[in-house]
Amino acid sequence: MTDATMEVSGVTRNDRFTRGGRLVDALSKAGLAFAILAVLLYGSFVSPAFFTTGNLLNVLTSMSIVGIVVVGMTFVLVVGGLADLSVPATIACGAILSLGLQPLIGPLPAFVLAVGLAGLIGLLNGVLVGYVGINPIIATLGIGTIGLGIVQAAVGGVIVYGSNPASAEFAKGRLFGIPVVVLIFLAIALIGHFVLSRSVWGRWTLATGGNYKAAEASAVPVQAVKAGAFVITALASGISGGLLGLTLQSARPLIGAGYEFSAITAVVVGGVSIIGGFGSVPRAIAGLIFVQLLTNVMVLDGVRTPIQGFVLGILIVGAVGMDAALRKRGVA
Amino acid sequence: MRLLTLASRHRVVIILGLTLVISALVVPGYFSASTLGLGLDRAATIGLIAIGLTVLLISGQIDLSGGAVFALAGIVSVILQREIGILPAVIAGILVGTLAGAINGALVVGLKVNSLVLTLATMLIFRSLAHWITNSQPVTGTDIMLSLALAKIYLDVFTIRSALFIILIVLLHFWLTRTIPGRNVFAVGSNPAAAKESGIASDRVVFLGFVFAGTLAGLAGVLQSLVTNTGSPVFGSELTVAVIAAVVVGGTRLEGGRGSALGTLGGVLTIGSLTIAMEFQSVPAYVQQVVSGLILILLVVLDRAVTTKGRAPGTRPALIRDNPITQGGKT
Repeated sequence: MTDATMEVSGVTRNDRFTRGGRLVDALSKAGLAFAILAVLLYGSFVSPAFFTTGNLLNVLTSMSIVGIVVVGMTFVLVVGGLADLSVPATIACGAILSLGLQPLIGPLPAFVLAVGLAGLIGLLNGVLVGYVGINPIIATLGIGTIGLGIVQAAVGGVIVYGSNPASAEFAKGRLFGIPVVVLIFLAIALIGHFVLSRSVWGRWTLATGGNYKAAEASAVPVQAVKAGAFVITALASGISGGLLGLTLQSARPLIGAGYEFSAITAVVVGGVSIIGGFGSVPRAIAGLIFVQLLTNVMVLDGVRTPIQGFVLGILIVGAVGMDAALRKRGVA
Repeated sequence: MRLLTLASRHRVVIILGLTLVISALVVPGYFSASTLGLGLDRAATIGLIAIGLTVLLISGQIDLSGGAVFALAGIVSVILQREIGILPAVIAGILVGTLAGAINGALVVGLKVNSLVLTLATMLIFRSLAHWITNSQPVTGTDIMLSLALAKIYLDVFTIRSALFIILIVLLHFWLTRTIPGRNVFAVGSNPAAAKESGIASDRVVFLGFVFAGTLAGLAGVLQSLVTNTGSPVFGSELTVAVIAAVVVGGTRLEGGRGSALGTLGGVLTIGSLTIAMEFQSVPAYVQQVVSGLILILLVVLDRAVTTKGRAPGTRPALIRDNPITQGGKT
């Protein structure tokens, strides 16, 4: 990878390490902040309902559910794992099991077990991608299909309802006026950010994504690091699914459909490179805020749901194309 | 290890044989002509998309948007039936597939991005378009008699659709093995840089590969909408894994440069006979999904086991590192 980029630009340099030039870095961050501001302004103009506490709180809550997945997905992209398409399966696993097991073992153990089993799906993904060396998208697509099928078979393809009002109260409740879901998201985002930017594991993740062979030569446990990113995403999606199930008090097998795209869009729009080696949790969350506000403005504007998917798709193409273009020039 | 390699080389025959034997044991009357015809007709949908995907995979690319193009093309051809008549509508539907493929190809070649990620995004776009156009409701065509004619079984086994699939895959076999453009596809897939050095327009091969795949997904979608007299925005969403599984069963490598049309034929027949056998046993759809997912994963792992002798696993995430499309041209 390094060889190729050097040949392309004709200059001996590694774009992974020059792309963080301070000015460009500041500009790219400011660009996203500017975009968020623009959406805020536009939203306030077109809809009187937009800039109200109620609406923004709603955005924040729905953002938090996706946001937990986004934190994990950031690791997958940074480590060079392209994307995790098993998210709908892991979310369904979290949601269905944390509701379905409530009568048997109580709400908290059910939640923990659901997240654990979601993590198991991630472990399978991780082993296939990290150790066996299978293309991540094919592996997660296959494992996701299998996982979702098993979860559906486990409940007979029907909707599961919650049976514990107390846990629902907790998930829908507020602490110091802030929804609990948002607080959980913030906590996970903080932990994710800390791990990715300050810990050894985070440095290994960046190194593995930036230059796999060099990282391997530097005694980074590349296979484990790569596998770990998928486990992290699966655990995050499991938590996200569990919370989703608890708030809705019902879970159907397709509850997680579309979340993988929302998460991928947020991460790439946030400027995390799809090729790996570059990115941070705050960037991904900035991308998430932008996408969520945009979606919210579209909803308030009366834009129909399919068009939102259309816009998400175009955002991914645009962000990925921009990443490729910048990478080619080796500037940003 | 040699035995494994041998098994892997002839795996299409082995897997297809095993599938047929097990199916025959489980389903009484499995080998009657009508059952086989039904299975073949079912396989034809997967097969037509798989033909396009085979060429793309050999050239080192992939298209995940096939299922969405399938739905979109079907919808367009059904909606236009009222406006411009059936035959022009059919052509328009297929052209929608061609256009979708051209968009994929142009973006992959032009932006120089990974085709997995790009077609994931265009899949979302095409699927949204399908929901947009139809308001998420199924649409119905004008001529129910035509559907009946298309579903009719000739010579005890073939429908028009399955005959078309067989003819196309045989043509593809000759094109890939006997012609220069066909061999160029292999060259581009196995070593893009070398192919370019030897004067093959890699970008054009890749672009045309996407156009071809899109056209065939469109054709499959149009045929499906004609046979069912319906176009639905949710059609084809479960096809992606099945199609990739069929092609991979056939021995085509995700890494590019390896593959064959006859292998894909075997893979498609395997998936088709499995589907029919499971439907006869009224196995729920989600269990069928588990089976195609398992087949896909097992075979991809088997490929790895056979090909990574001596190479550290994970050092070569296919379709990224050794790929000119994602590298901005390694020349």
